[in-house]
Amino acid sequence: MKETTALIFGFNKYAIEIANNVVSKYNDVKIFSLNQEDVHNKDYDITYFDLSEDWNELEAEFDLVESLAFCVLEDDAQNIFLTISLRSNFKDLTLITIAKDMESVNKLNMAGANKVIPLVETTAEIITNMIEKPIATKVLHSILYEESDLKIAQIKVENATFFHGQFPVDIEWSRYKGIIVLSIMHENMSSDFIYSSKAKHHEIKDGDIFVVVGYEADIVEFEKLIGSRCNVSWNNWGR
Amino acid sequence: MNALKRLILDASYHLNTSDSYQKKKRFFYNLLENDKYRYKKYFDLVMITLIFISVAILIRGVKYEMSDSLIFFNSYVISIFFLIEYLLRLWLTSSITDTVIKRDEYDSLLGRDIQLSKVFSQVLRDKFRYIFSLRAIIDLLAIMPFFHELRLLRIFILFRIFKLFRYAKSFQMLTSVLATKKIEFLTLLMFASVVIFVSSILIYVMEANNPVSPINTLFDSVYWSVVTISTVGYGDVVPATSEGRFVAMAVIIAGIAVLAFTTSIVVSAFTEKLDEIKENKAIEDASKLKEFYLICGYEDVARLVALKLIKDKNRVIVIDEDYERVEKAKQDGLIALCYNPGSISSYEKLHINLASQVKVVLCLREDDVENVYTALTVRSLCKEVHILSLLMNDINRKKMIFTGINEIVYPQELIGMITREFVGQTVAFEAIHALRSDQTNFNIEEIAITDWILNNFTLVEQLDTKRYRVVLLGIYKKEKSRFFFNPLDSTVLERGDYFLVIGLGVFIKEFERYLQKKSSE
Repeated sequence: MKETTALIFGFNKYAIEIANNVVSKYNDVKIFSLNQEDVHNKDYDITYFDLSEDWNELEAEFDLVESLAFCVLEDDAQNIFLTISLRSNFKDLTLITIAKDMESVNKLNMAGANKVIPLVETTAEIITNMIEKPIATKVLHSILYEESDLKIAQIKVENATFFHGQFPVDIEWSRYKGIIVLSIMHENMSSDFIYSSKAKHHEIKDGDIFVVVGYEADIVEFEKLIGSRCNVSWNNWGR
Repeated sequence: MNALKRLILDASYHLNTSDSYQKKKRFFYNLLENDKYRYKKYFDLVMITLIFISVAILIRGVKYEMSDSLIFFNSYVISIFFLIEYLLRLWLTSSITDTVIKRDEYDSLLGRDIQLSKVFSQVLRDKFRYIFSLRAIIDLLAIMPFFHELRLLRIFILFRIFKLFRYAKSFQMLTSVLATKKIEFLTLLMFASVVIFVSSILIYVMEANNPVSPINTLFDSVYWSVVTISTVGYGDVVPATSEGRFVAMAVIIAGIAVLAFTTSIVVSAFTEKLDEIKENKAIEDASKLKEFYLICGYEDVARLVALKLIKDKNRVIVIDEDYERVEKAKQDGLIALCYNPGSISSYEKLHINLASQVKVVLCLREDDVENVYTALTVRSLCKEVHILSLLMNDINRKKMIFTGINEIVYPQELIGMITREFVGQTVAFEAIHALRSDQTNFNIEEIAITDWILNNFTLVEQLDTKRYRVVLLGIYKKEKSRFFFNPLDSTVLERGDYFLVIGLGVFIKEFERYLQKKSSE
């Protein structure tokens, strides 16, 4: 039986960190390395690959629609080549890649990556936030990485009648069932801050997704009233 | 005699150990000589103003009758100011008490009484060395208009203009730059003098006996020679004979050479000193800044951090020992200095007070060894300053903690955590990412609760967040170091707490204004 797998291309510190962080979310984590010697690593299950692969074995072994691939080769040119190679073979595979700079980000997006993480940009952004907004950074960090009781969740609206045709602007979200609604994602996959002018004129409908912050019990209560938690595939979101 | 010696020694030791005397002396020293003293610039400004007033009065006095009060102000008030300044400088130039004490110690060592004659000669030597220095002579001449009854002495007011050199740093810089080319200027002067001397005599010999020629005396010929070699050529004195015109041609050619040589010397002096001038300016600017972020090392991450901080209207100073990286930082519009951030002497030379001036020290070299070295240097100089460092290899984390680094950023770990959230909650991650990123207008801001805000609001229920289309995520209670998510309406606001507000940048600004303004409205 095919399983959901995290496929990590490249064996380096990024690959190890990613593997450690996603291992709980996937049935299997598979690492591919360009270096044949890495295959003998005892801590990780590593397979050798080269950039001229035709990926037939990959297709036979994994469910590539449900799996997710990380391209974390340290050389941006190789990473771009790998991304093109995977995208040209697997239209539905979700591809997340890293890039050293913004120039490579654009190229990787053109190469078909669903999400590109610019390393330098992201690190600099986090450092700046840490020193300029230390409290906000700490709070958001604890919410996002579940280091406190506060959680962030995506709730799909399945019972829009509950809102009686109200618009998001009509509701005082900060006083709503103990939770705070940050943004709303519409059926067309565009996401808006709850008080943005676009969201203001959008009647709440079934299928909308709310991004909410709150304590687990309050989120569960809210969920019961309007719908259920959901995941959004990168295939629909990032590109 | 012994009583006099005793009196002088007692007075010297008393003054040397007197706190109030030393405090006063230090104050005047700072005011007159210490460029880093905050009030010196005001003192300089007053003196410059007095100089200009004095010159303006002189100019007006040429054609118009002056009122007595103005003459009194110019001749006495301003002069007294300058006299006091001159005397203070004379006092500060060397310490008489130090001279007495040193001599006493020396004589005691040799087992004899203090020799007052030696003390006096030493004191006089020290004071006269100052009195005969160019600056002191100018200062003294600037006081001369004090004796305004002597009409000739009024012209000494112009010496007050020279006093400007003392107060305007750019003048001092100009003289220091030109002083580096002393030998070249001396050679040029010698050359010009020889040409003037020879041509003056030649033109005098050839023209003086010619009744048509305007050159009749040796002074006329020297005057003509100087005017010609300087390429000014008024045309009031011109040679009438062919021989004289031949000399004129030679002097004109020599004049072009002198002018070209002078220009090139000045230009090369400035070119050679340009980097030093710029660096001194940058050091001066840095030492004047009240609060800034100090970035040690300028590589890719450091560059983006610096540019983001600048964009948010923060002040940033970059120090790096690599010349090329420093140049790159300068090209990016930053104050950058080529100093080793891991060396204590760098901070001493830069006159940076880490505790009071630096908000955060950012060790952003992409090299753990360098970052640890820099952090340890900073920590050895200042225990309180906040240090953030980039960590490139997790194996070095303990060493960084041991060094006293307050916050460590390990990019690989960040990427791992980001991907975990990516794969789990895509929309939620994007929402939070949008809050943190400056690429959207959708922000999270910290608003400090001040006494002024507390005058307007005391409870959460009084905040009209919905009207301003912002979301109050929570309140950070500083005293308890705790974050209160979505606080109840009855939550009491306290000084020093922070609101965490989410919304569009413009709405947050409006909300902030509303918090500040309400009571006045």
